[in-house]
Amino acid sequence: MQHTIGERRKIKEMWGWLFVLPTCIVLFLFVVYPICYTSFLSLCDYNFAFDKKPTFVGFKNFSNMFKDKQFLAALSNTLVFTVFMFSLLIVLSLAFALLLFHKKKRSWFYRTSIFMPIVVPASLICLLFTWMLADNFGIINKLLINIGLSRFTHNWLTDAKTARWWVIIVSIWGKVGFSTILFLSGIQSISQDMFEAAEIDGAVGWKKLFYIIIPNLSETFVVTGIWAILQCLKLFVTPNVLTKGGPGNATLVLYQTIYNEAFLNFEMGYASSIAFVLTALVMVFSLINLKMSRREN
Amino acid sequence: MPRKQKPLAAILTSFSLLIASLLFVLPIVFCIFTSFKESIEIIKDVTFFPHKWSLVNYDYVFVRGTKYLTYYLNTIIITVSSVAITLGLSSLAGYSFAKLPFKGSKVLLASILFVLAFPLAAILIPIYIMEYNLGILNTYIGLILPNLLLILPFSIFIMRGTFIDLSHELEDSAEIDGCNVPQTWWHIMLPLAQNALVIVLVSGFYSVWGEYTISKTLATKDSIMPISVALTLLKSEDWNYGVLAAAITMSIIPPITIFAIFQNSLVEGMAAGAVKG
Repeated sequence: MQHTIGERRKIKEMWGWLFVLPTCIVLFLFVVYPICYTSFLSLCDYNFAFDKKPTFVGFKNFSNMFKDKQFLAALSNTLVFTVFMFSLLIVLSLAFALLLFHKKKRSWFYRTSIFMPIVVPASLICLLFTWMLADNFGIINKLLINIGLSRFTHNWLTDAKTARWWVIIVSIWGKVGFSTILFLSGIQSISQDMFEAAEIDGAVGWKKLFYIIIPNLSETFVVTGIWAILQCLKLFVTPNVLTKGGPGNATLVLYQTIYNEAFLNFEMGYASSIAFVLTALVMVFSLINLKMSRREN
Repeated sequence: MPRKQKPLAAILTSFSLLIASLLFVLPIVFCIFTSFKESIEIIKDVTFFPHKWSLVNYDYVFVRGTKYLTYYLNTIIITVSSVAITLGLSSLAGYSFAKLPFKGSKVLLASILFVLAFPLAAILIPIYIMEYNLGILNTYIGLILPNLLLILPFSIFIMRGTFIDLSHELEDSAEIDGCNVPQTWWHIMLPLAQNALVIVLVSGFYSVWGEYTISKTLATKDSIMPISVALTLLKSEDWNYGVLAAAITMSIIPPITIFAIFQNSLVEGMAAGAVKG
């Protein structure tokens, strides 16, 4: 059976639709509809345990938010964590990528070790760290005693200051492999000619880094930056398993408050409005990242 | 002229890499070693290496502690189904976006990208309410479908990226031979996209295997919980680190093994997917 070109294009378009249809159904049910419903719920009072239906209350949730100590603590923690975690993630993964790039031969072990944590279930790693950091029988305190630094032993996760740092460290432990991959593949795609030309011009060591590698990575910085921002703002597993937001509110993050409000207190309306704030933060930070990298170009 | 590395720089590079690698590997090795220790040894005197190697913890997990096997099985069921569905959906949608353009297909693709940026928290509240009303909270299907969100967008980008690189001539000649679109997709294109399918499979596998947030929210019953959530809740009642270490070891070995096997293609695929996405 022969078809004209127009008919053939029509048939292809139809198959195109059919091929994406199942995906569309899943995404509509589990993304589009939920996003619309969250936006609506954020303007409602809705306790899932007691109320039959959400009642519309306008922007009350949003104004209440700024009187809520838990929320304010979570907001400031999230921002502080984001600043520290983001900078450490970028710096460390760039450093790892440069080291791996420098070491071309026999790097299988190093590469595997650095990348491996991304495939390990994060919650189980946190569990592992909680007992490595335990006061009495944790191996980290034990190690400090054995090397004669017993005055530095600490109940790491019950002290607000150290608990915060450990949340950041463990989160980075699990994530840095991915950004290292991104940076490494960015560096590897810089053309060899450029390196050779630079070497002839006398650029070695640090000069090569600042004049050749970093300027050529702007695209990678955008991708990695947005990825890292998302990871920082969406931080949940590490504080949830390591510290449950404690001690006090020291490691309480926005994601955790959303979880607490929605699934412990069943305040679906209020939780939705906090989720809305978090989503807005994600958008704003990604845009800032995009703008800044564009300007550098 | 071959470039000569300065010996000092080479040594420093290797040394820093070694330190970094140990920081990533040692906690895992410590966990594996702990799983072979008897509980008395763990509490009385912590050491890195076991004094006496013992299989008592594995015996507990596999022979006596049936609940661990349930968690393990739950993880396997959820992971296998989510990844299988994702393979199907993403290879269809990826092909459509690459080779069968229709009105609005670009917009649709961009909005799928947008999904990646949304924090799950914003989506999980309505999903919880919806699943409650449908009565599928604490069921496999109720856990599998939301898990698709986690891996489907990325997989679609990987598949699209691969299909788009395949030449149009293949399609045309298949058409001349009398293949319709699904036949071309199945017989000609899909076999050529094997590498991408492997990336989707492996990255999907470890994402769902270790997934925490969705299951923490939508699985509240012990009988349906995957191991990534269940173990974190066990802590206080089963204060036995040896058994926990054995259970953790059992659940981190599969993803690590698969990663070690597929490392090269996976690393390339992840980088490409992130850049294209």
